[in-house]
Amino acid sequence: MQGLTEILLLPLFGAVTIGAFKSLAPKRYAGIWASVLLVASFVLAVLADVHLAELAAGHRVISGTLFNWATGFGPKIAWNIYLDPLSGIWLLVITGVGALIHIYSNGYMHDDPDRGRFFGYLNFFIFSMLLLVLAGNLLVLLIGWGLVGLASYLLIGFWYQRPSAVQAAKKAFVMNTIGDVAILIGLALLYFRFHTVTYAGLFSTFAHATPNTAYFEWTAVLLFIGAMAKSAQFPLNGWLVDAMEGPTPVSALIHAATMVTAGVYLMARLYPLLRLAPDVAYAIAAIGAFTAIYAASSAFFQQDIKKVLAYSTLSQLGYMFLALGVGAYTAGVFHFMTHAFFKACLFLAAGSVIHALGGEQDLNQMGGLYKKMPWTTASFLAATLAISGIPPFAGFYSKEAILGQVFNSGHGLLWIVGVITAGMTSFYMFRLFLLTFFGAPRNKKLYDHAHEAPAVMTVPVVILGILAVIGGFFGSWLNGWLAPVFRMYPGASHAALEAGPVFGTVITVGLAVLAFFIAYWLYVLKRTAAKAGISTWPGKWMLAAYGVDTGWRNVAILPIQVVGTWFRDRIDQGILAAVVGVANGIWLWAEDLRPVQSGYVRRYGLSIMVGLGVILAYCLTRV
Amino acid sequence: MLWIFLLGIPLVGAFVTLAVSNGVAKVTAEVIAGIEVLAFIAFLVGPRATLDLSWIPAWGIRFHLTADGLALFLLGLTAVMSLVAIFASKADYGRTYFFWVLFLEFASMGLFGAVDLFLFYVFWELVLIPVFFLLTGWSGARGRLAALKWLIMNLFGSLFMLIGVVAVAVIYQQNTGHFSFEIASLTHLAISPAAQPWIFGSFALAFAIKAPLWPFHGWMPDAYGEAPPPITSLVAGVLSKAGVFGFLRVMLPIFAPELARYQTGLLIWVAVGLVYGAFMAVRQRDMKMVTAYASLSHLSMIALGIFSLTAAGIVGATFLMVAHGLMVGGLFLILGVVEERIGHREFNGVMGLNQGAPRLATYFLFFALAALGLPGLPGFAGEYMIIQGLVAHEVVFAGIAGFVLVVAAWYMLRLFQGIMQGRPNAPAVADLSRGQVAWLVPMALLIVVIGVWPAGITSQAVPSLFHAVHFVADRGGKN
Repeated sequence: MQGLTEILLLPLFGAVTIGAFKSLAPKRYAGIWASVLLVASFVLAVLADVHLAELAAGHRVISGTLFNWATGFGPKIAWNIYLDPLSGIWLLVITGVGALIHIYSNGYMHDDPDRGRFFGYLNFFIFSMLLLVLAGNLLVLLIGWGLVGLASYLLIGFWYQRPSAVQAAKKAFVMNTIGDVAILIGLALLYFRFHTVTYAGLFSTFAHATPNTAYFEWTAVLLFIGAMAKSAQFPLNGWLVDAMEGPTPVSALIHAATMVTAGVYLMARLYPLLRLAPDVAYAIAAIGAFTAIYAASSAFFQQDIKKVLAYSTLSQLGYMFLALGVGAYTAGVFHFMTHAFFKACLFLAAGSVIHALGGEQDLNQMGGLYKKMPWTTASFLAATLAISGIPPFAGFYSKEAILGQVFNSGHGLLWIVGVITAGMTSFYMFRLFLLTFFGAPRNKKLYDHAHEAPAVMTVPVVILGILAVIGGFFGSWLNGWLAPVFRMYPGASHAALEAGPVFGTVITVGLAVLAFFIAYWLYVLKRTAAKAGISTWPGKWMLAAYGVDTGWRNVAILPIQVVGTWFRDRIDQGILAAVVGVANGIWLWAEDLRPVQSGYVRRYGLSIMVGLGVILAYCLTRV
Repeated sequence: MLWIFLLGIPLVGAFVTLAVSNGVAKVTAEVIAGIEVLAFIAFLVGPRATLDLSWIPAWGIRFHLTADGLALFLLGLTAVMSLVAIFASKADYGRTYFFWVLFLEFASMGLFGAVDLFLFYVFWELVLIPVFFLLTGWSGARGRLAALKWLIMNLFGSLFMLIGVVAVAVIYQQNTGHFSFEIASLTHLAISPAAQPWIFGSFALAFAIKAPLWPFHGWMPDAYGEAPPPITSLVAGVLSKAGVFGFLRVMLPIFAPELARYQTGLLIWVAVGLVYGAFMAVRQRDMKMVTAYASLSHLSMIALGIFSLTAAGIVGATFLMVAHGLMVGGLFLILGVVEERIGHREFNGVMGLNQGAPRLATYFLFFALAALGLPGLPGFAGEYMIIQGLVAHEVVFAGIAGFVLVVAAWYMLRLFQGIMQGRPNAPAVADLSRGQVAWLVPMALLIVVIGVWPAGITSQAVPSLFHAVHFVADRGGKN
């Protein structure tokens, strides 16, 4: 299978060997070993994609079966492996960006006594994520889906002595379980009707199916709920911001570049199903647009450097779903790719800042760092320009591709939301950038100790920064690369990149530039503090992301706890009391047999055995 | 012939253990249980032997045991879990303890192998005795009370089942003119409509008490709580399967039309237990009780699969029985280690044991993840198949099952994190010993293997189950 098995097993091998030998080998070897394996995976991934490119355009699929998963209740379900240009893109980003983040982590986690465990988890995550995208059927995808959830849980809670990290990890896992279960039921519905869960088997049947039936709508909704949970779309978004409790490289790799885009991958993969459920497709676009603007506004008053980035990730994922919902599949994947570059760059650069400030994440303690950390500042700036959609940086092209196609497909309202969000993005990102790197240092002591990160950290950041500059030029290549995927089955007639109206681009870029000047005026010229406005009511609301966590607590957690307590203190007590009542009844009845009753518990057991023996003996003698 | 070994090794071994001195009783029991595992492996790779001897010809009772797809892996589960339980037991429990454990293994083997209804009943009663003595002799302060509850409730159920057994035999005799207790021959009974619910109910009650299924779990909290960890692990891991196994072994062939007729009611009943167990587990403060009520919920999940009356649901239930035995059995053993280290079972707030005992935390997490149904581990495979069965006709119940899986993630992580993570708030405890790791590793590997390759079990389980399922379909059930 062109090395696919090896690509998959290398990181797993790394995780297992690190787990087995981490107490034997010196600590730094774990990171080096994990990074070497990842670089090897990346090379193999490139080779696999090259091999894919050599195939005829209509047949760009490499697939195979490892062994059966389950049989016995219908057509078998097997460990199918499947590589096509769509999974090929994810493969490159996972191993490529993953390798850079692994290398970076060698520096970032240098002083952590437990870093062997860290790299073991990191390699395990890469394995799980590769399993997710290389799966040839929905069930194997779901196994990868669950395992990346586990990796995310382990890494969010990596510093398990911190109560907040432990809580955040649990929250992430439970919320993601909602998605896992939705996918599980969705795939069970598909298997029930079509007796297969392989992509090829399902999609070729979908071509002849009637759209708009309740069956397809429900199935699509369930699978979309799975995507929402993993990609933290409203209202399943609360866990992603809390997930920032994990070490920063984890935030970059899992909670920005790769895992949270699994939902985007799933929906792009399932485009033949979305054709059959057009209402669900519209809902995807609407929820995506809403999440984009909701998260962007929530980022306005955040005080923590990583939380701003977390909300921006939510918002950018919203854009991707917006693209998928209107059928702009290539644009969605394009934005995934550029986002992986600039957001990984932002997180790693933020990590360098946190590292330089001895773990400080509060924006109120930063400022003026550009003098101390020129490389980090330059990379962060490039990525900020990219995410703000300033031409010719990467994000400009992919965001324009999305907004243009939203406009072309006639979704006026969603387009307006997307354009406004672009302006908001520029504002909160420049707020973050200026508060961190410009202005006067707000904490002199921290500032004096700050220093540029070591090369092992800076080089990956700069590489990602360069990609954030040039990533947009890959658009036309990506367009051609993905075309065979979206031609294979009906349902993606507008998948290719389209140019939007010129006035749209002008408005979007104009808003972004205007937002930059507002941010500059506020945070550099007027020297507004980061915490300004957080005690006003909009500030409070936005800081708490409009209370979505409180909502979940009141709607889901508290009711279960209350009912559980009622079960525990009332119902179960009743059930236990009933047993004693019945036992007492038997006791009273047995009073008649007082001479035999010794009150010694073992006797009763013995007498049962004897009684049973007597019955058996009686039966046998009757023969 | 193999069946003679499978039953004979633990039975004879039990008496051998009783004969040796206390000092070597544990080693002796380990060797015997190890040989039993080898015997099972011989069984697995060799031809599927059956043992069919005439026992009481006048009543058509036969000493008939077989290892069809339904029983095969439950026999394996019994062999493996008995060995692990003996490994995990303290040597100073003494020879009588190991005698009863091996006797329990013998009785369980017979119970899962029996295909003669009378023989099934005999083994059904026989398993009560060793558990009763183990509860009275080697438990905590409330052990005797626990034993008494166990005995009274189960005897209560058995009494009804005995009536059912006799009734079925008598009806068969009226239909055909001669006696037979062979389950396979009792499949086409003409039971009068008036008697149907009563006979059906008498079996269902006995099975529900043994499992236990809600609301017949009155004996469970005390028994699981008070028993020494290896015994809790055996009762929850192996014996609890006897109850749900009864539905498959006895009720599916004999009462197929009744199962189809009462299907909705049965599904609602076990769905209540499913949610009830999960909500209870969220609110427990005693670590063993979290797992006990989680197990109550899981057993309802298995029953849900059975009552879906579909091939997927029933194969899933069979699979989950084996998987659940390993996962929950392992979890109770781990909790036993924790309890031994910290001296109590409460987990109020945060204890943070991970810091001092990382290996303990790792294995704890593994078994907790298995129990909450992490994709890739066997609980997930079983739950998937059960949900696959439920979506066929009863999609609402698939939704309820899915909801409970989310709650399961919550209560299992609450348990794990409460004990293991957070700031260390209790004295550091010793990590797992080499000896403990030695039996945890093979168990964990076994769980991974059947989770990655469920086909190893499901492909074997199929033929006999399909027969049962098609039978339901033929008799007017749904499929």
